[in-house]
Amino acid sequence: MKVDPGAMGRATVKIAFLALVLFIIFGPLSSLAIWSVAEKWYWPYALPQQVGLFYWGRVLGSDLMRSLQLGFFIATVVTMLTLLCTVPVGYALARFDVLFKSVIMMLFLLPQAFPQLPVFANAAVLLYKFDLGATIPGVVLIHMVGSLVYAVWIMTAVFKSIPVEMEEAAINLGASRIRAFLSIALPLAVPGIVASSLLVFLYSLDEFTGTLLIGAPFVVTLPVFMYNASMGYELQVASITALLLMIPGMVLLVLLERYLKAEYLSMFGRI
Amino acid sequence: MRRLENAFWFTFAVPTVGIVLVLFFAPFLYSAFGSFQSKSGQLTLDNYALVARLYTKDVLYTVGIAAFSLAIVLFIGILLCGYLRVYGNKLVEFLFKIPLFVPFVVVGHAMRVFLAPHGILNSMVAQIGLINLDNPPSLAYSWLGISLALAWKNMAMAVLLILGAFRSVHETYLEAARNFGAGAIRQTLDVLLPMSASSLAVASVLMFTSMLASFSIPLMIGGGKGAQMTMIDVYYRITYQGDYGAANALGVVSYLLASGAAIYYLRTVTRK
Repeated sequence: MKVDPGAMGRATVKIAFLALVLFIIFGPLSSLAIWSVAEKWYWPYALPQQVGLFYWGRVLGSDLMRSLQLGFFIATVVTMLTLLCTVPVGYALARFDVLFKSVIMMLFLLPQAFPQLPVFANAAVLLYKFDLGATIPGVVLIHMVGSLVYAVWIMTAVFKSIPVEMEEAAINLGASRIRAFLSIALPLAVPGIVASSLLVFLYSLDEFTGTLLIGAPFVVTLPVFMYNASMGYELQVASITALLLMIPGMVLLVLLERYLKAEYLSMFGRI
Repeated sequence: MRRLENAFWFTFAVPTVGIVLVLFFAPFLYSAFGSFQSKSGQLTLDNYALVARLYTKDVLYTVGIAAFSLAIVLFIGILLCGYLRVYGNKLVEFLFKIPLFVPFVVVGHAMRVFLAPHGILNSMVAQIGLINLDNPPSLAYSWLGISLALAWKNMAMAVLLILGAFRSVHETYLEAARNFGAGAIRQTLDVLLPMSASSLAVASVLMFTSMLASFSIPLMIGGGKGAQMTMIDVYYRITYQGDYGAANALGVVSYLLASGAAIYYLRTVTRK
């Protein structure tokens, strides 16, 4: 059997390239996995001297579970409210000559362009004035700023992609605009609505800046919990939390991989 | 009937626009206004004088880090996307999407333990004998650590944007280049890159501004001493000193730095 040396060389380069890519992507993440099972680890040892699930057991019975539940609760509320608001508004923006349309569109672009932190810091002052600081409704509201902005754009795009003729036919036959929306456009938009609600859910689950500024110290979601643990040098606890925090995103990545388009994901490139 | 319908749409529009108006637009204007106010409420430029005195270096540091990160992202992104466009590799393409859905705080923490003086990276490099662990170099808590973490996180977005631009270049151009003997690198640099220059410029502006505004990554991985990224300064100014005037002045500086992205977004609206 003869092996072509050129093909061998190409295969070696390809494997080396893949190894490099794997290292770049998983290198930083691997330290989370190692730290999460490190029961005893002092330098100069390259790997932990003692490995076990001790910290997993301890963490899963601690405040972490409360933060996890709280985060899921907030994300669910944020997603539902966001959908309720943005599905009709997206439809209206896609179909009607809304008054001040470009002003409204502009308003929904500003949060994408400017740094969030200085704005949210001032929003926190406002929320505290209305006794919403460090409360769950306050955190829901600040999460909604980001998710509304994002969902309005997606919903408008979703409804624009649905042909208008069917609704026109329904209206010609005597249906009201609202009925045309509810019984024709809305069912056709379901795939787009599902995809964007998953992304909004993930956004809320991962949101850090607003939650830190408005929620602290009483509303601690998982990202803030992880931040506190990491800053307190509880590296095992922080690493386990970080791994848990990655799960929803990874599930979503596998589910939505084919539909990922840059213009729909601007939200995840920020802060 | 018509009126009833209008009321229907209006009911949903009011909270949607209202929340963004009250919790983003108003605080945005308020922070600009507050930057010209002293603690007692008088109009003053003192906050800006303070920012110029204390934070000029930090602003330059932030711009430097963002520029360096962007350079890494563009360099790797262009070559990688050229390879993916010409040869195609589904697995590598998928792997580079992973950072997109890893939350910022997780990136910050992972990079902190990965790049720490006795972190995984140094341990591995020490195994080959390149560095001495008794006196290890630390990438974490330094400008380089922040840059690498930002580059890692932004890589996914860059690959989506650049690959999208490269894919919209028609195959016939690449075939023509191949007929003249161009390899993958030539095809990338001489065909794909010039033909998608404008979308790459937009992508660069957007990534640059988002790096300038990054908060959680430098918060996790930045050093406690020396220069800080501006968002960290804003945060500390508020949480430790309660000094909203100076924090807002620094915020206004960050808005100005982000105006490139703002102009781009405004143009997308006015074009329609």
